[in-house]
Amino acid sequence: MNVIEINNLTKTYGKARGITDISFHVEQGEIFGFIGPNGAGKSTTIRTLLSLIYPTSGSATIFGKDCVQAAPEIKKEIGYLPSEVFYYDNMKVKDLLKYSASFYKKDCNKRIKELAEIMDLDLNKKIDDLSLGNKKKVGIVQGLLHEPKLIILDEPTSGLDPLMQQKFFELLEEENKKGATILFSSHILSEVQRLCNRVAIIKEGKIVTVEKISTLQENNYKKFKIETKTQLDRNYFNISGVNNLEVNNNVTSFIFKGNINDVMKKIAATEIANLWIEEPDLEEIFMHYYEKEV
Amino acid sequence: MNIFLHELRAYRKSTMIWSISLAAIVVFYMSLYPSFARDAAEFTKILEGYPEAIRNALGINLGGFFTILGFYCFPLAFITLCGAIQAMNLGTAIVSKEVREKTADFLLTKPITRTQVLTAKLLAALTSLVITNIVYIVAASIMMFQVKTEDFSFKLFIMLSLTLLFIQLIFLALGIIISVIVPKIKSVLTVSLATVFGFYFLGMLSGASGEEAKRYLSPFKYFETAYILKNKGFEASFLIAGVIIIILAIAASYLVYAKKDIHAV
Repeated sequence: MNVIEINNLTKTYGKARGITDISFHVEQGEIFGFIGPNGAGKSTTIRTLLSLIYPTSGSATIFGKDCVQAAPEIKKEIGYLPSEVFYYDNMKVKDLLKYSASFYKKDCNKRIKELAEIMDLDLNKKIDDLSLGNKKKVGIVQGLLHEPKLIILDEPTSGLDPLMQQKFFELLEEENKKGATILFSSHILSEVQRLCNRVAIIKEGKIVTVEKISTLQENNYKKFKIETKTQLDRNYFNISGVNNLEVNNNVTSFIFKGNINDVMKKIAATEIANLWIEEPDLEEIFMHYYEKEV
Repeated sequence: MNIFLHELRAYRKSTMIWSISLAAIVVFYMSLYPSFARDAAEFTKILEGYPEAIRNALGINLGGFFTILGFYCFPLAFITLCGAIQAMNLGTAIVSKEVREKTADFLLTKPITRTQVLTAKLLAALTSLVITNIVYIVAASIMMFQVKTEDFSFKLFIMLSLTLLFIQLIFLALGIIISVIVPKIKSVLTVSLATVFGFYFLGMLSGASGEEAKRYLSPFKYFETAYILKNKGFEASFLIAGVIIIILAIAASYLVYAKKDIHAV
């Protein structure tokens, strides 16, 4: 069964671009990644799903119900964490969470305590006095306290330190095991790779591709930058899988996709001064997708 | 119900401050009445020297000025002005507060309709106004009985005092429609002060011109205290105009708010 189904969804803001003709679906029990650079339309899509904004054309269903018509009913089972969390400043964390829980007709006290413990959140502080990361934790607890069947996260990790990020991911995986479906939007490829089963890549308001993470991992791109003692010959790295090769004096850089052993052997065979291997940023991956289309 | 209580709690401080301030104003003014009443004859002479237009604009009518109810109309003009600001603040803040504090995402992703949200907030604002009015009327009537030199009609006093609530309701409705239509209000106070004083001066001008039709332009002119004192009732046509404004503004607010896109900030 599909928890989310988006059909030809379009949202335009006057003349500015919103999203155009977006279609994809998220299956029950999936952790679905939604990835793209800032301003690509991730939030627009999510806000339309939550009927914070209304579609210009096309439609979306959640739990098989229209997301505009049945909005209040659907939202009983949705937990949402926005990218920027700002809550009523004058409240204590505890009161805010109680206020949030009061919208759902179940007792959430136990779950609030559990979550606060996991996320190491002090319930008695004023939200005003919290740091960005701690506010984010309030957002996380707020989004999960009613044990929703669908969790929608819009760039949830900004502001969390790596340790908390880890705990948060574990929490999500646990919820997922209990049966929750998760839509996870991000512009950081590695966190999506770590967590998700499938991923939709969006650029400039359009879905570029929907793929399994395993497929993406086969297309394991790495960005290499090698500093050598002497300038390398341009043809030295002329092996399959090397793209965007640049040689600048003693610094050689390229993007590599393929069996990583091949390139490591090549590198090991030269005298190197320094070496950087990085995840390519999304732009570079997108470049690849566009090249494919051309 | 939870939104209503939450909102009411949020208004708690402002409701208290406004109630106490309005009560303090009326207590202060009415405490002047005894000495005023003593020197009535001389004051009348001074006021006769003022041009009639100015007297009208200030809401002073010579005939009844030195009865306690006539005197009460004088602070009442000022109090309704303050009350209008309170109501306008409340109305303008209703939706714009959520946008400014970025809590709209929180509230509108809960399992409730937007109509429910607006209704709860509207009722909370209304409750705040009613509380203010109760505190005010209690304070004013205690003071009236303290300073009176002769008996007065309590019913007429209540009718006069109710103009505060009526004007507040009109401005509450105006505030809500502005808050729903304007995408982002940076400062509630700027908008509400500008609107309230705009209408107030419009009211003064139309009062000075004496043309009946122009009075419809400003809610401040809908409830003329002189008329109420003389006829012991409200002017039906203006009462209806007020009710129509309130109904239209609130109905339009519901329609706009239900269709409105809530943008990320």
